[in-house]
Amino acid sequence: MAAVGVAGTEQYNFDIVRKFTIMALVWGAVGMLVGVYIASELAWPFLNFDLPYITFGRLRPVHTGAVIFGFGGSALFATSYYVVQRTCQTRLFGDGMASFTFWGWQAVIVLAALSYVMGYSQGREYAEMEWPIDLLIEVVWVTYLIVFVGTIMRRKQPHIYVANWFYLSFILATALLHTFNNLAVPVSLFTLKSYSLFAGTQDAMTQWWYGHNAVGFFLTAAFLGMMYYFVPKQAGRPIYSYRLSIVHFWALSFLYMWVGAHHLHWTALPDWTSTLAATFSIMLLLPSWGGMINGIMTLSGAWDKLRTDPIMRFMIVALSFYGMSTFEGPMMSLKDVNALSHYTDWTVGHVHSGALGWVAMISFGSLYHLIPKLWDTKMYSEKLINIHFWLATIGTLLYITAMWISGIMQGLMWRAFDDFGNLQYSFAESVAAMHPFYAMRAIGGMFFLTGMLLMVFNTYMTIRQSNSQASKLEINPAKAAA
Amino acid sequence: MFNFKHEWIEKNVGLMLIATMIAISIGGLVEIAPLFFIKETVEKVDGVRPYTPLESRGRDIYVREGCYLCHSQMIRPFRDEALRYGHYSLAAESKYDHPFQWGSKRTGPDLARVGNKYSNDWHVQHLIDPKSMVPPSVMPRYPWLQTTALDYSDIAERLKALRQVGVPYSLTQGEYDRNVKDFGADVAATLHIPDAQKNLIAQAQSGNFDGDRSNVSEMDALVAYLQVLGTMVDFSKYDNDEFVKFR
Amino acid sequence: MEWINWFSKDENTKPLALLIFFITFCLILIYVFGSKKRGERLESHKDIPFLDEDSDTKEVK
Repeated sequence: MAAVGVAGTEQYNFDIVRKFTIMALVWGAVGMLVGVYIASELAWPFLNFDLPYITFGRLRPVHTGAVIFGFGGSALFATSYYVVQRTCQTRLFGDGMASFTFWGWQAVIVLAALSYVMGYSQGREYAEMEWPIDLLIEVVWVTYLIVFVGTIMRRKQPHIYVANWFYLSFILATALLHTFNNLAVPVSLFTLKSYSLFAGTQDAMTQWWYGHNAVGFFLTAAFLGMMYYFVPKQAGRPIYSYRLSIVHFWALSFLYMWVGAHHLHWTALPDWTSTLAATFSIMLLLPSWGGMINGIMTLSGAWDKLRTDPIMRFMIVALSFYGMSTFEGPMMSLKDVNALSHYTDWTVGHVHSGALGWVAMISFGSLYHLIPKLWDTKMYSEKLINIHFWLATIGTLLYITAMWISGIMQGLMWRAFDDFGNLQYSFAESVAAMHPFYAMRAIGGMFFLTGMLLMVFNTYMTIRQSNSQASKLEINPAKAAA
Repeated sequence: MFNFKHEWIEKNVGLMLIATMIAISIGGLVEIAPLFFIKETVEKVDGVRPYTPLESRGRDIYVREGCYLCHSQMIRPFRDEALRYGHYSLAAESKYDHPFQWGSKRTGPDLARVGNKYSNDWHVQHLIDPKSMVPPSVMPRYPWLQTTALDYSDIAERLKALRQVGVPYSLTQGEYDRNVKDFGADVAATLHIPDAQKNLIAQAQSGNFDGDRSNVSEMDALVAYLQVLGTMVDFSKYDNDEFVKFR
Repeated sequence: MEWINWFSKDENTKPLALLIFFITFCLILIYVFGSKKRGERLESHKDIPFLDEDSDTKEVK
């Protein structure tokens, strides 16, 4: 990169942060575009076009992979590498290794997407990557751990800031989950196809232990780490309560790992396991809200910022959605509610209120804070950030409202009886009833995607403007030095 | 207390790694490990057998196309599900499923007991054009299954991999004899890996799943798989409350 | 000492575990919020994001 002599660019490795930031935006746009497409396929099935490669079943993992691991993962790499350097006041450990995590991770996302459309899948949700890709992830992840811990070990600040605890637990937990959920025996060394080591009930339990903790650590703990740095920075005030963060960090890390089995209520999984999971799911409400309160209260006394600062607005709305979906989650883990909600669109809506409302919005807020610092300039357009905010909020609300209605309606139609004790509706009738809500969901997604594209444009223009400023400085070196 | 300070952890990344690792390990250990040791987790039921080579290849296609993203294979013990789908699913019924395909979403109906509910012709027509059989369906069309020949050249390798993860396909005479004892001679013959290719073709020929005996298509395999789902256990042999104690 | 047998029964592991976790949780709470002095010490670390000198201005509380 062009070292312009700006303080900070040499002290810290921002190059790697820039790369991951750009890829977060690229994967965000790609992943959300695929999301809108598959949502449209459900509303208007002709969009499958009889092409094996783009049927819903093959594109859905492309969508989840690109948004969770591409967008979310790259945003986490970017922010964690930034936060750990700034809070440890030291340069990132191992430039080469950090660079390897970048190229390795991008390769994972691309290879995974290609393998899905070609029809290679492990058949486990959010872990569809076949074994060679899993091995690559393992290597990249261990390198990530080394870079992160290495940086902490050479910190100039004796204390490890709370954001880093969350990033650390996310890295550890992801390594643990990924390893055990992907145990499989390949058909041969020269084919991608493999069969999982576990079967049936045990396999289901392992998968949902993974599945829910991908949400718990990848999509929650890590983004709380993001929150613990960027919300105080953007608000210009320290976090509301450091003590609360201690309690809620340990409680969250401990409790999350128990709750996966609530995805398997009323199934052939033994009752004791799913009851235990439901109990812990209810308890999980406390640490979740601890995090939300800590974030929102950081702004207490400076609420006026919400009127003037769209980045702050992103962050606070993200925390609100986080609070909302972590309330909805424990409720859905109650067996009686789950009997209605499970297998329906309600679950899909719940995931997206977390994914769009919390994960994506806190990332947007943090990245809007980060981008001007990385390229040493101002955002190209504050107004576009504001428009993005409204598009994202409206999109999320449309999406989750559509899914609430369709989910609850499905659940009720499936269990409705007529006066003679027969089923009142055929399954096909319930499918037909979903159509308007599937269309509404796709439109909500389009809103969200449009916002994302505005962000890409805004960032592109910001970088361009930064480059032209830099070249002006180079023409007049005396001024640059001053 | 022995003057503990949380700062020890806050200032020592090694301690923090260990403490975090302990905190995140307990839940999984307590909930997952016992499932491998408690015998009642998977009940003993007659009839459950590994898939034949053709059914197994059908299952591969089911996984390949991501069917599990819209169809569950796990019937819950509710009155409406009993009427719509049949007896609730048992753990034993998926004990040879690597990976499990219980699913998490019913954009389409549950398939745990779809076997023998519809004719082969119905399935073929439905897979080629779902709307022709179920007008409001939003399922993609899968016409290429009928026109694509099934690649069964590596069927033995596939079954060997499944055998490695614990499915009782037989390689040796001893294993074959054990299968005869466990599943009866007819089933044991279909589980013998050295005969896998022969058995696969024979089943496709005699079953004639795709309505075309001249070749073995992917459609043959997938329909053979769908037609066996949920049919292995004969529930008329059991008392209604027989399985409740395993829940 | 009859009551001690309660701990040895399999079906009591769940309440027992809950009890242990709950007590641990209470101890953490007491540790973190129990003493004002310790509280102030624990809170003193929250300014770390602002210790790193850079161009962004920090608002004084």
